[in-house]
Amino acid sequence: MVWPEVEWLIRVLIFPGFATLILLSLFYEWVDRKFVAKLQNRYGPLHVGPHGLLQPLADLIKLLTKEDITPQAADKAIFALTPILLLAIPLAALQYVPITSLNSLAGFEGDLLLVFFLMMLFTIAIFLGSEASANRFSSVGGVRTALQMLGYEVPMGLAAAGAAIAADSLSIEGIVRWQVQSGLWLLVLQPLGFAVFLLCSLAELEKVPFDMPVAETEIVAGWETEYSGRKLALIRLGQDLATLLYAGLMASLYLGGPAGPAPIPPAIYFLAKLTVCVVLISLLRAAFARFRIDQALRNFWLYLLPLAIAQLIVVQLLEGGVVAWL
Amino acid sequence: MSVLIDVPVGPQHPALKEPLHFLFQVDGEYVVDVRPRLGYNHRGIEKLAESKTYLQNALLTARICGICQYAHSTCYTQTAEKLLGVEAPPRAQYLRLVLAELERIHSHLLWLGVMAHEIGFDTMFMYCWRDRETVLDLFELTTGNRVQHAMNTIGGVRRDFTPSMVETVKKAITKLRKRLKYYEQLVQKERTIRVRTENIGFLSPRDVVDLCAVGPVARASGVKRDVRLDDPYLVYDEVDFHIVVDDGCDVLARTLVRCREMVESADMILNALERLPDGPVRVKAPTRAGKEEVIGRAEAPRGELFYYIRGNGTNKPERLKVRTPTIANILSLCKMLKGCYIADIPPIIACIDPCIACMERLTFIDPKGRRWSLSHEELRRYGLKWYGLK
Repeated sequence: MVWPEVEWLIRVLIFPGFATLILLSLFYEWVDRKFVAKLQNRYGPLHVGPHGLLQPLADLIKLLTKEDITPQAADKAIFALTPILLLAIPLAALQYVPITSLNSLAGFEGDLLLVFFLMMLFTIAIFLGSEASANRFSSVGGVRTALQMLGYEVPMGLAAAGAAIAADSLSIEGIVRWQVQSGLWLLVLQPLGFAVFLLCSLAELEKVPFDMPVAETEIVAGWETEYSGRKLALIRLGQDLATLLYAGLMASLYLGGPAGPAPIPPAIYFLAKLTVCVVLISLLRAAFARFRIDQALRNFWLYLLPLAIAQLIVVQLLEGGVVAWL
Repeated sequence: MSVLIDVPVGPQHPALKEPLHFLFQVDGEYVVDVRPRLGYNHRGIEKLAESKTYLQNALLTARICGICQYAHSTCYTQTAEKLLGVEAPPRAQYLRLVLAELERIHSHLLWLGVMAHEIGFDTMFMYCWRDRETVLDLFELTTGNRVQHAMNTIGGVRRDFTPSMVETVKKAITKLRKRLKYYEQLVQKERTIRVRTENIGFLSPRDVVDLCAVGPVARASGVKRDVRLDDPYLVYDEVDFHIVVDDGCDVLARTLVRCREMVESADMILNALERLPDGPVRVKAPTRAGKEEVIGRAEAPRGELFYYIRGNGTNKPERLKVRTPTIANILSLCKMLKGCYIADIPPIIACIDPCIACMERLTFIDPKGRRWSLSHEELRRYGLKWYGLK
């Protein structure tokens, strides 16, 4: 085996590839659960591992060992395919987020669009899986997921477009590089875009106040209802990875990614920024009640979309030097 | 063209704390019709009561419900005391009032947490239940147990409050009152709560009267219905009691009514402890009752609680009949549920504060719409004839 191939394999599979990403996502699940618990005056995970750090891993292993039941009326192929897709898609999308250096593992010009496309596939896979479950609660959950996508997809795309226009690049590592070169985080230049992106991430990740696709008190577990055992384990892992992806996107697009003054390695900076983003998501998750689907859609189209458009207008004006000219 | 789907909710469902079955006919997210089905929690308590003495029944009736057990216990002992011809001494009445109002606070806080959970606000659920611990600790201090206090007995209460207990209760309630005011403000200000509770579960004042709603459900539609006002028992006419009414007619109004009632309860507890008279806490009661029937009412946290006892000259009742507030509110619940979204079903079911354990006794559902009532004797004869035993 030639050395570059081996090195590439190690980078993709172990560090900073799949294994690292999975471990990171489990770590951030712990961060989320602990932080939300503290906000709710509870302890959170406590016993498994030091300070409960191994709890997400323990939950994953437990789910893997449980019985995997497929409903008789379910479409077996799609029902089995959905969890695999939900795991594979965020893993694939994470290859385009730079973690350990200014270069991502597979970055190219236009990978921002690819990441958005992949996450749209994520939501569509959820919808397909819900319909394949042959359960009326799953149906309602799947429909809500698809409806929600109609709400957040456009504002999120526009917010990311603002970042891309400012950096004059459609690749995530290009945007990170621009932030390093201009010495400014895009958060400073486009705070509105960051806020819109953050809220749309909450909706994509189906976290409160946008968790009605899995609203426990209303429709049992929504689209996840029929999934158990290994399939549910893969779904949970996929959701953790999606959280990591969106936190990573927020950190790369708005907080400058892994950049930071030497001698601290870039990975540490990225982890720090990731933690800030995950904590932000957890804070919002703990602080609100759940919207109804029609209320959520109304909020997206009436408030977030105009804000995203306003941000885009500001970016265009700045780009065109109008402000300087004025 | 719309397709109507039947969505079953219950008897096992994450939204329900107790088994209950609703069959909803839905058109998309919109509820067209609802059919309830009860009976999953029937335990035969009324029959069991006929084979226990009046004193034993004081403990039995408390076990009808865990959350409103003191209301059941108080109402039963009051009614039994009427039947047996005793009256509890003033100090016992004051202590009963303090414990009853403490239970109202604990029940409403539990409910507030459950309501928050139903709308997806788990943080508020955790906070409410943490504050509820204050009340449960007070119960443990004064009665020895967090729920199921076993404090009431025919003729008074079984234990007295020491002066240090009174001081502790006063201090804790004064501190808790601030938290209760905070919840009242929170419900009104927090937008995600308002958006999920406002204009949902509408029940007009006309419907309240027609469908005989009781408790906070009635009071949130502007109807001034409260046993503590209409038919004062214990010492509610001596303590400063203000009825809490709101005219919102929706789930938000019911939430506000309960929040404000908690503050009122806190004030009443402090007031009652100030005026606590000295004296004995129980008197000896006769064990045999005459051949009479009596009724008694109390305002449980969920509404009007109604007890009927008939004596037959022995130390065991001939018949005990309990009508709890939740069953009175079920018809109003069905009215509220028609025409709502699926997503609104949990808050609406939760807003009547259903206590299914309380509710499951004799239910009469007539498919032909004919209403009839039978006296106990007629019912007994009808049953025997039906089974061919006559």
